[in-house]
Amino acid sequence: MTREKKLKVTIDSRELEVRPNTTILQAARESDVYIPSLCTLEHLPSYGACRLCIVEVDGLRGYPTSCTTPIEEGMVIRTDTTELRSLRQEILKLLLSEHPASCLFCEEHDECKEFQGTIRKVGVTTGCRYCPNDARCELQEITEKVGLTETSYPVYYRGFSVEKYDPFYDRDYNLCILCGRCVRVCNSVRLNGTLSFKQRGKLTTIGPAFDRTHLEAGCEFCGACVSVCPTGALSAKVSKWYGKPDTQVTTTCVYCPVGCRLELQVKNNEVIDVLPNYDSPIDRGLICVKGRFAIPEYVLSPERLGTPSRLTPVGYEVISWDQAIDEAAKRLRGTKPEDKLVMVSPQLSNEDLFVAQQFTREVLGSDAVISSMMIDLGDDLVPFLELVTSSSTFDTIEDARGVLAVGFDSTYGYSPVGIRIKKAGREGALLVTLGACDSNLDMLSETAFQMEPPQWAEFLGSLVDYLARGGKGKVKIRKEWTSDIERISRIFSDSSTNILVIGQEAIFSSGRREIFEKARTLRDKLGWKIIVAHPYTNLLGMLAMGAFPGAKPGEFLKNGDAVTVDLPVIDLAKRKKVVYLIGEGRFDTIPDCDYLIYQNGLPPVASRQPDLILPASLFTESSGTTTNGEGRVLKIEKATEPFMDAKPDWWIFNRIAEKLNKGKLKYKDVAAVQAAIKKQVKGFYGGRKPVEFARINAERATKWLRGAPKQEGQSSGAGNNPSYRGIPLARVVAGMKAIDEWVNTSLLSDKEAQ
Amino acid sequence: MMLNEIVSTAVKKFGVGREQLLPVLQYVVSQEKWLSEDALLGVARAFDMSAAEVYGVASFYSFLDTKPRGDYVIRVCRTVSCDMAGKEAIMEALEKTLHISVGETTADRKFTLLETNCMGWCAEGPAMLVNDYVYTGLTPEKVVDILQGYMAGA
Amino acid sequence: MKTIKVGLGTCGVSAGAQKTYEAIKNEIELQNIQAVLKETGCNGMCYREPLVEVIDEQKNSFVYGEVTPEKAKTIMNSHVLADEPVAEWLVQSTRPSEDDTFFKKQNRIVLRNCGIIDPSSITEYVATGGYEAIQRVLKEYTPERVIDVITRSGLRGRGGGGFLSGVKWKFCRDAAGDKKYIICNADEGDPGAFMDRSTLESDPHSVLEGMMICAYAIGAEEGYIYARAEYPKAVARLKHSIREALAKGFLGKNIFGSPVNFSVKIKEGAGAFVCGEETALIASIEGKRGMPRFRPPFPANKGLWGKPTNINNVETYANVPWIIMNGPEAFAAFGTDNSKGTKVFALAGKIQRGGLAEVPMGITINEIVFDIGGGIKEGKKFKAVQMGGPSGGCIPASMGDLQIDYQQINRTGAIMGSGGLVVMDESTCMVDMAKFFLRFTQDESCGKCTFCRIGTKRMLEVLERITDGNGKEGDIELLRHLAYEIRNNTICGLGQTAPNPVLTTLKYFPEEYEAHIREKRCPAHSCSALLTYSIKADACKGCMACAKACPAEAITGEKKKAHEINTAVCIKCGKCLETCKFNAVIKN
Repeated sequence: MTREKKLKVTIDSRELEVRPNTTILQAARESDVYIPSLCTLEHLPSYGACRLCIVEVDGLRGYPTSCTTPIEEGMVIRTDTTELRSLRQEILKLLLSEHPASCLFCEEHDECKEFQGTIRKVGVTTGCRYCPNDARCELQEITEKVGLTETSYPVYYRGFSVEKYDPFYDRDYNLCILCGRCVRVCNSVRLNGTLSFKQRGKLTTIGPAFDRTHLEAGCEFCGACVSVCPTGALSAKVSKWYGKPDTQVTTTCVYCPVGCRLELQVKNNEVIDVLPNYDSPIDRGLICVKGRFAIPEYVLSPERLGTPSRLTPVGYEVISWDQAIDEAAKRLRGTKPEDKLVMVSPQLSNEDLFVAQQFTREVLGSDAVISSMMIDLGDDLVPFLELVTSSSTFDTIEDARGVLAVGFDSTYGYSPVGIRIKKAGREGALLVTLGACDSNLDMLSETAFQMEPPQWAEFLGSLVDYLARGGKGKVKIRKEWTSDIERISRIFSDSSTNILVIGQEAIFSSGRREIFEKARTLRDKLGWKIIVAHPYTNLLGMLAMGAFPGAKPGEFLKNGDAVTVDLPVIDLAKRKKVVYLIGEGRFDTIPDCDYLIYQNGLPPVASRQPDLILPASLFTESSGTTTNGEGRVLKIEKATEPFMDAKPDWWIFNRIAEKLNKGKLKYKDVAAVQAAIKKQVKGFYGGRKPVEFARINAERATKWLRGAPKQEGQSSGAGNNPSYRGIPLARVVAGMKAIDEWVNTSLLSDKEAQ
Repeated sequence: MMLNEIVSTAVKKFGVGREQLLPVLQYVVSQEKWLSEDALLGVARAFDMSAAEVYGVASFYSFLDTKPRGDYVIRVCRTVSCDMAGKEAIMEALEKTLHISVGETTADRKFTLLETNCMGWCAEGPAMLVNDYVYTGLTPEKVVDILQGYMAGA
Repeated sequence: MKTIKVGLGTCGVSAGAQKTYEAIKNEIELQNIQAVLKETGCNGMCYREPLVEVIDEQKNSFVYGEVTPEKAKTIMNSHVLADEPVAEWLVQSTRPSEDDTFFKKQNRIVLRNCGIIDPSSITEYVATGGYEAIQRVLKEYTPERVIDVITRSGLRGRGGGGFLSGVKWKFCRDAAGDKKYIICNADEGDPGAFMDRSTLESDPHSVLEGMMICAYAIGAEEGYIYARAEYPKAVARLKHSIREALAKGFLGKNIFGSPVNFSVKIKEGAGAFVCGEETALIASIEGKRGMPRFRPPFPANKGLWGKPTNINNVETYANVPWIIMNGPEAFAAFGTDNSKGTKVFALAGKIQRGGLAEVPMGITINEIVFDIGGGIKEGKKFKAVQMGGPSGGCIPASMGDLQIDYQQINRTGAIMGSGGLVVMDESTCMVDMAKFFLRFTQDESCGKCTFCRIGTKRMLEVLERITDGNGKEGDIELLRHLAYEIRNNTICGLGQTAPNPVLTTLKYFPEEYEAHIREKRCPAHSCSALLTYSIKADACKGCMACAKACPAEAITGEKKKAHEINTAVCIKCGKCLETCKFNAVIKN
């Protein structure tokens, strides 16, 4: 890359050097010159509507908007003259003439600030400070910066009723200033198109078609619109009224393997809101509903387990940690390794997983550390892992010229992948979807094939055959597919980079084994890239840490040879003495047992009551790292103290091990765990590059699972029902429940329509 | 014609390139007099666009109605020259004869009364459009005559 | 053999010309008259429609106005059969008539064929020398020469901006791009302007030919005509003309046998005034909301689908073939130093003869209003003329000797606009007028810029309270202040010019504003909230007519006794004033 030549400009009599190909506003901001603006926002296309960012430029007529005027060599720009100041004040006056502004112009304003504790309450009840975003409002901030202290117009209240019937956020368009940020973010960043300007002129409003709800309009509830809203027009249900957060903590979402960067908004030791980070290279700020909205309600759920407790004939009895550790140690001591089973969730951090396997191996003397993920995949596990460990990075989609998505939908998850696919499609890449019903990619796809999941493998097979023979020779293809397959194969053959995205519906379909095999052929014979969009957050970390039967820490990592996974036979039908669940909440997969230890953040919903409950802290409450689907090791930061007496998983293992006086589990903190990992898993914390995995020998797939619950087609706990540590988000997060119900009813009505 | 036929005819006639969005919507309006939610969704599907975007475009233009309209859409010019020439009396006559006010549709869904911007008949005002037909130099009596013609006509 | 032409433009048809045409046809068949019956468009004398022209064997032309079917019969019998012209109905002929002055000061370039040829016949257009200019250009001119000719002619964009067309074409020709477009802006939306509609209806081929020449000059192969939804007839006629031209090989591949390709598509608007703004128009053609965008980049560099695009309006294109045929000097011979050629004005409002008049630039307002327009209706006093629609302003009668050209008009605070002239008499309230135009722009604002969306709304509120009699001290300053800010702080022409009607009326008629605000009085007796009606007791005959007419039952009185109006109940509808035969009702 050649370095761009800087331009010399003068801003407010300062001579500056600025980057070329920017707007005046960008250049000014990069040079720390403040120009107010409401409609402009980084990452969004310029719009030039609010006019606050007007400047004076020598040689240009009038007052050009700096957000739309490209900077040029030698420009002489003034950003703060008396004239500009008065124009900006007038703009704000006009905006505020249609935006209730008692938060700004009130005789009691100063007192109100000072005695907020009491006066504010009155304000809220009398409706004077009724803005949900009070104190987090850009309009407020700018009004203060521009120095407007009074207005001459009476406030004209537009009288829209507040829209509260959608999950996660409310909309009060009386506060809307029509800056259009939400419309732009929804359309040009999220490529979703839920929002649009409606009508025109003074009647302009924003929303979906007609007066549909956002649910009906196919909204992803990514909350991007809420994040960019400079007023209180859009406000998250959980965080409104909170005011300014105390701190912001950058962490990684552990709800799925994408590993989006999150900015947790913390106030009074509570996560009150979560915002995206547009500078994050992995997700580019394109987080989904789960990361955006499903965290505060989960971690602050009234159901949270806050103290250790023990099942007695008359119910649960609260006990101290010492008692609880004694109890656990007592039960684990002395039992034979084959009578014990440890199940860990792939949503734990690398560090917790490392300690979990160490605990199982060194303390319990067993290799049986499994996870419900393994049971989901059953005998197809090894081919699945083979694909997952060789998955391509998400940014490869950006260069793709052809994308085939099978059973993939990114409405409520995997949006950084989904949006990259949409973007590729919009920029001319061939996008083909294969699914059982409409997917959110269909709108931008060249062709959307709809067929029942059992046929997917066959369709894929025909395509692979056709592609492999380069159109020569005879390929057996169903008649009704011939022309379509011919057409798309031609484009795929001409494309430099093709990507196959395997979605959750495909992973949980009955023909998945064949789909995995076809994917391998595409990858190995035709050079396709593969992305497996599975739900198991830290699956790669689980493998790398050796929290997996028959594989010690680091054995899965690349060091020359291919690995053959030799799974010990696990018989779930055989009764165990003790089952120890760490972050596993699905009881359909666990074998019968005499004693059940349940270590988690929320209680399970099951008829089998755990005998011992150990309250664990969640990912917002303890630090560590997680490995995303690309193999990148990402930081999880502690944002708040753990809920009540909850403790990190590694701490609990540590204490039990101590009690049992076995193994080398003497970790003081997470850093100590990381030091141990560094020793055993070379280069794991190596830096920005993804951890590379050894090629897994997929041919040697053994039948390892016995007595597993019957897998019914695509039904699986993890499928379309996102969960964290075994607890479906829909159980604790009201909005997720609403989405769930909506999806189910619309699926039902689709079926009826057919 | 059924609604889906109307949409598919329009799509066949004009195609689904983005520039054909207005022509397709206009065709639907010419057949149906307005854009119902179903029509709009049909068009959105055909164009692979979000319903919100199609609605956003349609609602921007005053001739693409998203509210039910009668068989005969009467648009009275509200421009200054027609106003000077006695548009108010015309409006009154229309409202009285049809028993509706501006923006409304008669109960039998036959007439809708609207105002519109200049139709270019400034020298011969007041003027009005009934669907695609222009009437100029209106007087209250003339208006009643014209309406009676339409009432008897169908 | 005589030729009879009936004006079947929409203005004619809506005035009943179709019935007149049928009647003449009937007569010809019934009496087996040897005459040719033809259709033609509008000749601009809209105030006299239906028009029938009789051309006798010596090529003398006799134009009859307001011809009903009955009058048509008489004309056929007396003039066509017996060579006795019906003098009293003649509006234009070799003999003098009172309507002669309507044409006397006109020089018709754009309207050269209007009302003369049958617009639905390409043959007639060709017969008058149509499509010769494009052929000449294709054979003899380089694109640069075309641009040079247009530049030298001094032709300015007739849509309102008044930018030199030749220069605009050159920008587009010089812009880098593999594909270029030209657009004809037929989204004439200014209240009071209708020359583009009339031109499209009466001489569509002249516009097509102008577009062809422009396309050749800038190197475009595709053209669009963006026409208003409010002009169904113009659209139909254009479609027909394009079909004709295609059939003849004038459009399409290798036009006129040359290597040049050119095709034209019509895009119909859907009722949004702002789409007359060029960037909004482009957005609308692209199938989007018609929202203006910021410039630069200008359409000449990045227009339709990001390609260099030239946009001119109907009237501009219609001038082009004439300039090619007659030379730039002939065109530049008309007009003033900075404004060359002729301009079509649409006359409407309180004027005797409303219609279209094409006059050389530099003519005075008085000449147009009095000589061409025949003065004010009902003998009232000329008060002002509104020029340029909602973007323009009101010029007072006292400036009637002002020469009309771009510079002079701009100096008044109004703009030339597309040439609509709405004439006002003493009964027009100027505050009300300003309110009217502001309400228009307010309704038609796209809603993007803060000042345009909210600023015009606040201004309108102020005007409304002034005309409602609730004006306050400081309102005039507030209006001025807002007007200034709106003008300087909006993206497109709609917003930038929206305050003009207010500013000009404030400038020329401040006393009317003051009267409304301070004395709660409307000097033009027009603002109903400020009016009171009363009955002069000595003039009232006690006939009860007004009491019966009053919808509010505000008039009391007995027969043969003077009535009274209860002002508390009166809704100021003015019915009593209309009803009273004895001029006993007075408006204060």
